[in-house]
Amino acid sequence: MKIGIPRALIYWKRPIFWENFFENLQFEVILSPKTNKKIVEEGVKISDPETCFSNKVYFGHLKWLDEKCDFIFVPRLKTNKEKLEYCPKFFGLPDLAKAFLKTKILTQEFDEKKEKFEKSLLKLGKKLRKNKKEISKAFKIAKEKEKIFLKEKERETLKKLTSNSFKIVLISHPYNLFDDYVNLRIAQRIKNLGALPIFLENIRAENTNLDLWPKFHWEFGKEIAQKIETILKYEISGAIQISSFACGCDAVLKEFVEKRFKKEKIPFLYLIIDEHTGEAGFQTRIEAFLDTIKI
Amino acid sequence: MKITFPYWGNYTIAFEKLAKKLGLEVVPPEKTTPLTIEKGAKIAPEMYCFPLKVNLGNFLEAIEKGADTSVMATARGGSCRLRYYAIVEDKILKDEGKKVNFVIFDQSPLDIYSKLKKISGASFFQFLNSALFTLKTISIIEKLEKRAQFLRPREKEKGETDRFLNSAFRRLRKIEKFFDLLKFEREILKEMAQIKYERKEVPKVGIVGEIYTVTDHSINFEIERKLGNLGIEVHREMSLFYHLKKKIFPWIDWKIQRKIKNYLGSTVGGHGRDAIYEMLKYVKEDFDGVIQLLPAMCMPETTVRPILEKIHQETGIPFLSLSIDEQVAEAGLNTRIEAFVDVVKNYYGKKKN
Repeated sequence: MKIGIPRALIYWKRPIFWENFFENLQFEVILSPKTNKKIVEEGVKISDPETCFSNKVYFGHLKWLDEKCDFIFVPRLKTNKEKLEYCPKFFGLPDLAKAFLKTKILTQEFDEKKEKFEKSLLKLGKKLRKNKKEISKAFKIAKEKEKIFLKEKERETLKKLTSNSFKIVLISHPYNLFDDYVNLRIAQRIKNLGALPIFLENIRAENTNLDLWPKFHWEFGKEIAQKIETILKYEISGAIQISSFACGCDAVLKEFVEKRFKKEKIPFLYLIIDEHTGEAGFQTRIEAFLDTIKI
Repeated sequence: MKITFPYWGNYTIAFEKLAKKLGLEVVPPEKTTPLTIEKGAKIAPEMYCFPLKVNLGNFLEAIEKGADTSVMATARGGSCRLRYYAIVEDKILKDEGKKVNFVIFDQSPLDIYSKLKKISGASFFQFLNSALFTLKTISIIEKLEKRAQFLRPREKEKGETDRFLNSAFRRLRKIEKFFDLLKFEREILKEMAQIKYERKEVPKVGIVGEIYTVTDHSINFEIERKLGNLGIEVHREMSLFYHLKKKIFPWIDWKIQRKIKNYLGSTVGGHGRDAIYEMLKYVKEDFDGVIQLLPAMCMPETTVRPILEKIHQETGIPFLSLSIDEQVAEAGLNTRIEAFVDVVKNYYGKKKN
């Protein structure tokens, strides 16, 4: 049996975990390819015109997987371990996927306000006719692999942070940072201009004092706040926040992120990406930003 | 201390009454005009949803008139951006150099009570009294609006209902005592019954969507009046009372969830679920069209819109979605409404034959 996983949006919240989990349960996993122009165009065509760009990309990936596999996995992520909510647009993803696609949707609600992650995972496995032993084994192996993967990334980032080069922090959601097509290869562009890009996502969040931030009920709100507080302990030359167009959560977040960096007198640039973003304009803005810092 | 609050359609009268009854000095917000929206949109974050821009415009106008404290209720249970309205507004107004304090309520009776008590110093009895007065006022406003929706397409003399409604609200604003309010309700309903109308069947259209855009006629370009004058009877489930009822009795939400489970398996924040529930209800009651109103980029409503469109495709009921923001022009909106009304009348005619 083939299970399709779209490589966009919620996939990047736990990359490698889901495909590993299903592979350990002896399923064939089809991961949609990296985002390309065609996928984005497909997504824009089927999704609501006013939903955010990241959602449109996700639907493009779903459309690519449609009729290529037996099931497409679209979890309903509601709250995380700390009982903080995910973006409300994630709540409706399985239902929207059902409305758009012909392939069956495999879904499971992950609401840790109500039940633990492991328990929800067990329910998901039961839907696939697997027993408890197999499921917990698959979960353990996947988790172990994810841990090693994350540690490696954190170690690398720490090395970058302590180096002496010209450092620029990139602040965004993982689905904007790790998707090279969506963010127009911003990391490469910064590297080419002689600076060192650092992904905020790869930093380990420390339990820091969050007095300067409002109390977020969104998991990424708290996470980004904590990571920014952590990164401010190191010396940083500038910060760039990337938002996908029409992202409701970033409209709130940006106000406070900008305020925080202004308070530390660190130069801050805000970039909005969408399906019409031109490469030339993007490049010019980054160049101008780096030039102002270097002076 | 002079308090102010955002303008919210005809409900503004009720909130003004609440503040006055509690002995607070209040600067009532001016009616929202395109200029208000322009002022608000100028300083608001570009990607924030539309109601925040309107609220900021209202606050700016009230501050010019001498208000120094803004009162704003934000949702506690909701998942959408409404939670951060007050914090963001506070930050933006301070960045603009305005001297203004914010009193922020959660939408829970206890929190509202304790915070209002702190700023007004009113006694418990006074609270009970003013809460009762406010709720009664809201109920009268909703009764009048509901009756007007029925009368508009049928009235013999065009525009009489709206003229009557305007004078009724003007009179309601002057009432001070609870006893007078009860008397006013009796009188006004009697007077309204005297408006002459033809007894005939007309096409019916249901309005669903985000509560603020649906109920505030100053930002939705009086869509109910427009539809009424074009010969359509408008129905609207969403109202402040409906919202309050849902806050007090959570099982209403569970019931709604059960009814829509084939379309949506969970809440999406705000009133997303209600839109689907209401649309299904209108389909069941054999309505001739559904209009969804939403502020542009509203997170819950844009999430449910593809599902509403799916219902529209399955059942064939005419459906129009209007997203409203500072760039919407009235002329363009009129054209769309008129075209939609033609579709509705066609559908109605076909059904009759």
